[in-house]
Amino acid sequence: MTDDGTTTTLAERGEDTAAAPGHRERRRRGVTEQQRPLWMLIPGGLLMTLIIIIPLLLAVYISLIDLDQYTLRRWLEAPFIGLDNFVEAFQSGLPNSIWISVSFAVLSTAATVPFGIAAAVATQNAYRGRSLVRAVFLIPYVLPSFVVATVWRTMLQPDGIVNNLLAKANVDGGLWLSGPKSYWTLILVEIWAAWPFIYLMALAGLQSVDGEVHEASAIDGANWWPKLTHVILPYLRGPVLLACLLATLNHINNFTLPFVLFGAPAPDDVNVMPMIVYVTSFQSLRFGLSAAMAIVSLLIIAIPLFVYLRALRLDVHEEGGRK
Amino acid sequence: MALRRMRAVVALAGAVTLTAGLVACGGGDDEGGGGGEGKTLNVLIGANTQYPEEFQAWQKSVSDKFKAQTGATVEFETFATANDELTKIQTSVVAGSGPDVYAVGTTLTPTAYSTGAFVKLGDEQWDKIGGKDKFVPATLGISGPDEQNQVGVPWVSRPFVMVYNTEILKAAGISKPAATWDELTQHAKQLTTGDQYGLSVGYKDNFDPWKFVWGMSVQAGNPLVDGKTAKLTDPTTKKAYQTYFGWLTTDKVVNPAAIGWSNSQAIAEFAKGKTAYMALTSATAAKALDGGATKGKWSFALLPTVPPGATSRPANGVEAASILSGDNLLVADYSKNQDLAFEFVKLITDQEVQLEYYKAVGNLPANAAALDTLKSDQQLATVAEAAKKSVATPFTGAWADIQLALTNVVVQSIPDLSKGSVSDAQLDARLADAQKAAQSSLDRAK
Repeated sequence: MTDDGTTTTLAERGEDTAAAPGHRERRRRGVTEQQRPLWMLIPGGLLMTLIIIIPLLLAVYISLIDLDQYTLRRWLEAPFIGLDNFVEAFQSGLPNSIWISVSFAVLSTAATVPFGIAAAVATQNAYRGRSLVRAVFLIPYVLPSFVVATVWRTMLQPDGIVNNLLAKANVDGGLWLSGPKSYWTLILVEIWAAWPFIYLMALAGLQSVDGEVHEASAIDGANWWPKLTHVILPYLRGPVLLACLLATLNHINNFTLPFVLFGAPAPDDVNVMPMIVYVTSFQSLRFGLSAAMAIVSLLIIAIPLFVYLRALRLDVHEEGGRK
Repeated sequence: MALRRMRAVVALAGAVTLTAGLVACGGGDDEGGGGGEGKTLNVLIGANTQYPEEFQAWQKSVSDKFKAQTGATVEFETFATANDELTKIQTSVVAGSGPDVYAVGTTLTPTAYSTGAFVKLGDEQWDKIGGKDKFVPATLGISGPDEQNQVGVPWVSRPFVMVYNTEILKAAGISKPAATWDELTQHAKQLTTGDQYGLSVGYKDNFDPWKFVWGMSVQAGNPLVDGKTAKLTDPTTKKAYQTYFGWLTTDKVVNPAAIGWSNSQAIAEFAKGKTAYMALTSATAAKALDGGATKGKWSFALLPTVPPGATSRPANGVEAASILSGDNLLVADYSKNQDLAFEFVKLITDQEVQLEYYKAVGNLPANAAALDTLKSDQQLATVAEAAKKSVATPFTGAWADIQLALTNVVVQSIPDLSKGSVSDAQLDARLADAQKAAQSSLDRAK
């Protein structure tokens, strides 16, 4: 029917409206298709191929060979071992790391959403000093991860400032950077560093709410709480869901924070996926095994991404139709 | 149809341009060999963050000397961490192009060797750089798996020593620092009173723990690797961990906060003047020690060389005062300037430049004659002796994994340490894990 997949919609429309084949041909060639400058995709497409697709294919290939420091020099001749790397990955610490990473990311996201939305609502209406408050809210977001982690690590030392303060209140702070509590430390610091992202997205969502909506709800006599829950929050659903998705992916991929906070080798409780991939790759030098782990991580990240992106696209259409 | 053809042409043109760019990036080696006129030698070397200006000045001075000698230019490239360097080695090895000469840390040398990307040193190469005899014999211990297969030329030494507070020891009537681990523990117990601790240890350091464990084990006759067999569950190794943990849990001679310290934090604590011993440091700590309350009150000493639980070293024990620590120079076998590279290696391992480098950044010479000239300084004499009594860690590509496994035992034990004891069962289980990791890495070694 069409000469390539991308014109399906056009062609279908052409079929519906035009009865005579000759007429249809003219319409297709005549207006829309020729004016689409598809060739402009070429530079971007080539770059994508070069910096995403080729390395990705290489990673897939590396995950299937026994590549380590002994075979690195002749890496094209490294023995092909099929799925052995994947089997080994699942027999080693990977499932545990997946569990830690996913739970850490979901908990961090869930905890940052209320903070972000509350902060956005608090800075929506103009008041004296609002711009200062907004700027202060963004501080955690603009600080480099490395700095955030270093400062927190210093504060959370066994004899650090946090434990000293707790001791004054007769609380034994204990160990923050080792053992089971390190997992909660990681979440705590991640929340501190990441909530402004939700705030930014929620703020953007709030500002897109029309003035008429506020007027209408005022005329209807809605108090602030029903107005917030029934009028404003539904508007935020799209941007905040997108923010949640992006934030979760960011949490899963965060390497700097655990690495600087806990060092390598990491305590078992915070051995997240990026850490295990890093240690396998750059300390144990098992590139094949770590590539397999990285690909498993990629697949795990891709599942929610795929589901959400589909859901989100529907959302956008709906809103587009409303306007 | 015309449109499709155009698309194809543009795509092709784009692809060709990109490929050409890639090829251009891949090139960049210098042509030819022999005399040095107009050539450039690339040298990869660790950045010195402590004395950056002196380090730069030294680079300039060496470049000038080399230019005068050979006519070639030296381009220094620096790396910040061992991991950066490893990444550089990996990419150069894969690409077959990169620096001509690498300065590689001693414990990383076996890993670099295992890639097979460096020139093996035969008599010819050793002659070019002035012979093996010009080096402190111990520094050659980690140049290769055996005499016939050496790749590393010793460049600088950074041996580990112990430091003690002379005033605290004197006040307690202790005339000589401890020479055995048991004696150290006993001194530390005696010197722990009030807010004063006997020993400062960085339990949370990413490297220190394995150095203690290796040292105590090898002194008791277990070098941790025997051929292709890992021996991490050996009683000597267990005893080493128990001693190391015991300072905190049973002897209580270490500040409980030490479970969060890195090596530099442990030094900083010692420098406050309230600690008798700091068991693992190197000559570069002198600046920190002079800058604190310990100014004029500290002295280096050799680390104990008699294993814990013994009063003399067993027959198969090794007198290891330190791991063999420092940097080796390796020449890449893809280098088209190998002759020049060896001339450069000779230059910077000769007495004059070695002493110049020592004065610039404080790293000890690997050159024997140069090291001898430094002995008049009492503190340095101790460090120099530690350099001579340094012992190489096992030369295997699996060492990086073994080191990691040894450290991991301590990392995972820290919560128990903070509760006051690491039980036998816990230690056994962690040692078994470490043994498994070490053995599987040795099994893969080629």
